[in-house]
Amino acid sequence: MSAFRRAGDDAGTTPFAPSAVAEAGAGDTLRAFRTAALLGWRVESNWTDPALFFIYTVARPIASLLLFVVMIQIVGGGANEEIRTFVILGSALWASLVAGIAGPAWSVLEDRERYRMLKYLYVSPASFLVLLVGRGLARLAAGAIGTVIALVFAIVVLGLRVDLGRVDVPLLLATLALGIPPIIAIGVLLGAVCLQTRQESWSYPDAFAGSMFLVTGVVFPLAVLPDPVEVVGILNPITWWVAGVRHAVLPDGPTSIGGAGSVWTAVTGSAVPDAATIVLALFVTGALTTLAATAVFRASERRARDLGLLDRTTGS
Amino acid sequence: MTGSRSAAVDPARPVSPGGTREASVFAGRRHDADPRVDADWTRRRVLATNLRALVGRAYPRIRGMAREPSWVLFEILLPFLTTSAFVLVYRALAAPEAYVGFVVLGGALSAFWLNVVWMMASQLYWEKSQGNLELYFAAPMNLMSVLLGMAIGGLVMSSTRAIAVLVVASLVYGVAFDVQQWLLLGVVFLLTMTALYGLGMMLASLFLLWSREAWNLANLMIEPIWFVSGLNFPVGRLGMLGALAIATIPFAVGLDAMRQLVFADQASLLGTPAPEVEALILVAMTAVFVALARWMMRTIERMARGRGSLSIRWQ
Repeated sequence: MSAFRRAGDDAGTTPFAPSAVAEAGAGDTLRAFRTAALLGWRVESNWTDPALFFIYTVARPIASLLLFVVMIQIVGGGANEEIRTFVILGSALWASLVAGIAGPAWSVLEDRERYRMLKYLYVSPASFLVLLVGRGLARLAAGAIGTVIALVFAIVVLGLRVDLGRVDVPLLLATLALGIPPIIAIGVLLGAVCLQTRQESWSYPDAFAGSMFLVTGVVFPLAVLPDPVEVVGILNPITWWVAGVRHAVLPDGPTSIGGAGSVWTAVTGSAVPDAATIVLALFVTGALTTLAATAVFRASERRARDLGLLDRTTGS
Repeated sequence: MTGSRSAAVDPARPVSPGGTREASVFAGRRHDADPRVDADWTRRRVLATNLRALVGRAYPRIRGMAREPSWVLFEILLPFLTTSAFVLVYRALAAPEAYVGFVVLGGALSAFWLNVVWMMASQLYWEKSQGNLELYFAAPMNLMSVLLGMAIGGLVMSSTRAIAVLVVASLVYGVAFDVQQWLLLGVVFLLTMTALYGLGMMLASLFLLWSREAWNLANLMIEPIWFVSGLNFPVGRLGMLGALAIATIPFAVGLDAMRQLVFADQASLLGTPAPEVEALILVAMTAVFVALARWMMRTIERMARGRGSLSIRWQ
């Protein structure tokens, strides 16, 4: 029986009683999550007609992709085919990452500052964290559409060569699935930051994602970084997520983690991490990131309640 | 004695149950004057009021920087890391060092574009959502002074980020500038800012027409504009697309002109108009954007009043 029904059947209690929330079962959590994801998707998509939504969804990732492709083209002409493929894949994946990171953070800001609904969501029986994760997942889904279209564009227009017969499908699926929780967790972490800050925080997810370009091997191998920064990259689940997808799609392509002069090769002695290592590393770093993000979010939530930040609106 | 002063002791004023005369909410103003007569302000008074509105609108942006320290991390440190990522891409490709300078300058100027998109173009739409827009329209001032105040406040905010990224990245990556025409560089920078914020004022008016589209379209104006403007590479390399960008986007023409002036005699920057010509393009853009902003503000305000959409929120 759901906690809502239990609370409703129990004379003298209301469905909004804290005890009902405390006893919320998996079914209630799942229902709240589904509702939040659906709401998030509608917020993302129903502001315009499908054609404009499609253009909006793909324009940013394709422009981002072209920014790098032109950089490579100008400097190296057609000689850097391997690097070009490396950068195109990383850049296309970035669309999903930015969307996933921005989702929960923007949900906090939209619901608090624009729609003024955050306080009502907060006092609803559903867990606030579950609602944010649902909203974040909807945005991640929109970002994933951008990634797919950017890849199709790269294959059709930019001549990206992918041998579908050689794609490591199990590794691809495992990596994609294991990458979702840490991406959303980082978004929740930024949501925790946005709970404390004012409305200018709209640009924070983009700024944060941009800075991760540096340490996750998206557009260049980590080996070019100083060793301490490279270690930060190796501890980042996004690094393994991008490396895993690359390894699955281009098994013989260049790696972002190992290679000559890299910390990885110096420590492990292997030139390239194999598929099992990538999955394991993604799982471990992803789990640690998710736990840390949850703890930070809980602390931020407590502070926001203490200071009355949940219904604050700001301007500048 | 003026009407306002006499109002405080006006025997005709209602007396409260406690026996004291109620204070006028218009203390300091003539309470008995016809509002139309009262509104017949001198030119000096109109100017002073608009100036006050301008300062008042710029104030929260400038003062707010001291009240929200998190911006130092998110607006300066993280954008520096983003710029560093682009620098390292060029380093990984063994590109000529000049390209590192192009990236650093582009990274610094991108702060102004972001500010124009998020804090100018979207601002009136945002004010509408927050319920401030009707106050702006009801206040006895020209809305252009509010837009100008927003622009000046935003310019100050973005300048800190731009200067920080420029200085730190130049030192860290050893960018060598070669400026031969300082005066022209200063003029081009000012013209770029006036054209950029003029565009922002125009878009702010335009976005009043829209609902949630405004927000999403603002979001759409980042990477695509950066690409066609040559954020990290000389825009001339884009051929016709680059030429179109130079003719229409102030960020593209300003960035290219400044690159030519800051990295003088760079062969890779050839193929675009000379900085003097680009300065003239910026002058034309400023005039067109500001005039359009003024016209659109009036037209769209009239349309919005007719449609009753000035105070519609959350759509």
